[in-house]
Amino acid sequence: MIKTLKTLTGLSLLIGAVAACSNPAETTTDEATAEPQKVLTIYSSRHYDSDKALYAMFEAETGARLDVREAGASQLLETMKAEGDQSPADIIIAADAGSLWRFKDAGLTQALESAALATAVPATYRASDNQWYGIARRIRGIAYDPSRWDASELSTWDTLTQEDKAGEICVRSSSNIYNLSLMGEIIHRYGEESAQDWATAIVSNMARNPQGGDTDQIRAIAAGECSIAIVNHYYWIRLGASDSEADQQVAASTSFLIPEFVEGSGSHVNITGLAVAKTADNLQLAEEFAAFLLTENGQSYITRDTKELPLLASTPLPDGVDRVPTFTPSDTHLDVYGENQADAQRLFDLAGWN
Amino acid sequence: MTLLVGISAKRGQTRFQMPRFSLSPRIIPPSLIVALVGLPVFAAVLTGLTAGDGATWDHILQNRLIPYTLTTLSVLFITAIVMLGLAVPVAWLITQYDFPGRAVFSWAMILPLAMPGYVMAYAWADLMGVAGPLQSWIRESTGLSARDYWFPNLFSASGLAFVLATTLFPYVYIIARAAFSMQSRASIEAARSLGARPFDLFWRVSLPVALPAILGGLCLALMEAAADYGAADFLGIQTLGVGIIRSWQSFGEPNTAARLALMLILIAGAFLIAARIFQGRRGTQQTSSRWQSQERAKLSPLFGFCASAACSSILLVCFAAPVFRLVWLALENSASAADLAPLIRSTLLLGALGAAMAFASAIIFSLSSKRSAALQVATRLIAAAGYAAPGAVLGLGALYILRETGQALSGSVAIGFLVWIYVSRFTSAGVEPIQASLARLPKNLDLAAQSLGSTGLRQFLRVDLPLIAPGAFAAALILFVEILKELPATLMLRPFGWDTLAVRAHAYATDERLAQATLPSLLIVLAGLAPVLLLSWRLGQTERT
Repeated sequence: MIKTLKTLTGLSLLIGAVAACSNPAETTTDEATAEPQKVLTIYSSRHYDSDKALYAMFEAETGARLDVREAGASQLLETMKAEGDQSPADIIIAADAGSLWRFKDAGLTQALESAALATAVPATYRASDNQWYGIARRIRGIAYDPSRWDASELSTWDTLTQEDKAGEICVRSSSNIYNLSLMGEIIHRYGEESAQDWATAIVSNMARNPQGGDTDQIRAIAAGECSIAIVNHYYWIRLGASDSEADQQVAASTSFLIPEFVEGSGSHVNITGLAVAKTADNLQLAEEFAAFLLTENGQSYITRDTKELPLLASTPLPDGVDRVPTFTPSDTHLDVYGENQADAQRLFDLAGWN
Repeated sequence: MTLLVGISAKRGQTRFQMPRFSLSPRIIPPSLIVALVGLPVFAAVLTGLTAGDGATWDHILQNRLIPYTLTTLSVLFITAIVMLGLAVPVAWLITQYDFPGRAVFSWAMILPLAMPGYVMAYAWADLMGVAGPLQSWIRESTGLSARDYWFPNLFSASGLAFVLATTLFPYVYIIARAAFSMQSRASIEAARSLGARPFDLFWRVSLPVALPAILGGLCLALMEAAADYGAADFLGIQTLGVGIIRSWQSFGEPNTAARLALMLILIAGAFLIAARIFQGRRGTQQTSSRWQSQERAKLSPLFGFCASAACSSILLVCFAAPVFRLVWLALENSASAADLAPLIRSTLLLGALGAAMAFASAIIFSLSSKRSAALQVATRLIAAAGYAAPGAVLGLGALYILRETGQALSGSVAIGFLVWIYVSRFTSAGVEPIQASLARLPKNLDLAAQSLGSTGLRQFLRVDLPLIAPGAFAAALILFVEILKELPATLMLRPFGWDTLAVRAHAYATDERLAQATLPSLLIVLAGLAPVLLLSWRLGQTERT
């Protein structure tokens, strides 16, 4: 036993030594080159394999090295706060305007003034002070059973509160950022009281307790448990593009529409976006990276697996995304989502939306 | 209870030895460990309490605290019932009777330990969900729609309890099996010779003696269940664990999250103290030297078949079915195995490093507090605070400490913090099996060693360590498996390029690509199997000798 103990201690020291020396991401720079390799550190809340291909392309094109930390947006935010001035972060990527707002609100970002980016990204999809830029769009809409409903019966978010929708709605938990951002815009448009009434009415029309992810809601329609699901467009598209036959059938037996708040108000749009960290030490490289994401090539990689909508109008749509109906975006500025996020959760809690 | 050959001893009596550790150098190592284990929890909770009320705190206090707490307690209550219902009868059957397949069930019952709770939740949610194979089959064969029939709802408090109990019951099983098989042969024989029937033997002789140990195991499993976030979140159950993460992520108030974590820690502390009081009252010291497990009675063919069937069903539900479903999903979607090698490497490295450190901490913890009841309670409570706190809250504590050091979270700093959190989170999982071994040692052994002049470090090395070797071995393996499965702290603190299998599985699952998540999930199970099998084999060995 004592031997075991000693071995264990020895082993742990050895492992520690190996661990300290063999950080796989920190490959040593070539000593022959006079200039040290440029490094861009990315804190990202996305986890797609196509992102890795995109990063590799940027590395090949610029000779810079990308260090990427992937974790939830809230965890990255706390990490940056804890690291303070020492943070290696140069770029923050988050899959929701509300999350980007949090980084900005905590003073962790800096403005990126770039004429090229300003042209590429419409004003609604970047912060008013250029503290963040959208790189892809995502739409929260309604998947439904076309044999049960006509699209005209679901044309606004308010139609979901009507009595004929009782026991028909499937939706995920309220703490999900997509629901919070949608609620954020409803609060902005109609005030807290009406927003809570809306949420309460949705809760009383639910077919089941909120559970699972967006894909599970669409599957529940196909299974007949409900006929309406509040989901992001790309989950529906991905089911159609899946290798699994069962998934393709689910997509084929459901339809997707993008409701407005009231007729003519435009529709709720969210983004995946990027911000330059306050601690970024190579602003030029950061700007190059942002510009790279907004080239046609960058855009098609960002949206290829995710099935988001490209931000650059000239980029061809990823496979399957042409099934998304056309829509007019709402003119609400996306900063609103972050500002209202905590209120949105509080009102959801009060409405009993788990 | 006169049948028992043993001395009843109230452990509480030893508390009068308290002055023993005042100002003694012996207190230094445990104090260091206490600081090491307790500091992240302390940092998180203290920051939470002193940072002032956020707007959210009032809302949580008025509207959410009671529902969160009640949901958590009811989930834990059902989890406890299910775990006891599974583990205790199975352990009893396996130690006392011979039936077809007994030898295989004996070790296979530990396999579910290799399964992380969140992976179990993915697999069962897929199997039992409205679009899953079971319900689809019902609809296809009956022509009914999903609204026309009743089906057990996994997305409920009892569903969550089922998922947690199926992954955690081996903790109770291991301890119950050891407790049943280590019982003095004399007491069982005496009872049999007095005409006790099998049921009486279980209910009136074996169970009362084994109960303190079983409750200790139950306590440990419940603390782990209380700290769960992954499974509860996936199933949409509003437990404290979910409320903690919601306070942080939706409300953007990590301080409120840390305050809520205090509630969980209090619940865990209450469990420990309750178990302790119970153990103190009912505990027995065995002095019989006849430790060999008694002859196992052979069951009649009918009962033997029933016993095999019961054990097989438990294994099917708790391990085989979810694993097969994952394999099926992986094959159906031709999940790709690319880029998994670095994940496996960092998973194993971090697991080994974390387990070694947590093990050392658990050993020092248990042995140094062995002779003082007060110190024992204190150290166990501190270890329990770490164990019951969700990994995310400990991660938050680590970030608060990192802020004081002015370092970036990368390279060896990040690894250091991550291993520290592993130690803080899991020391308790190592302390409990070791203390269970210690508690089984006859008290007079200690006194004998002392009377022969063997004290302090010498006694530790020459007497204690060899005696607790089986428990310590079990502790080391459990720690390794636990750390392999750990997700939230690893996700927060790992340095660049150190993704683990759990991190990757989680990334796919949060993107709702469960099919891609299956391969890393299966690999976690696979990596956990080796130590779990080793543990099973070793436990079998100690019972036979």
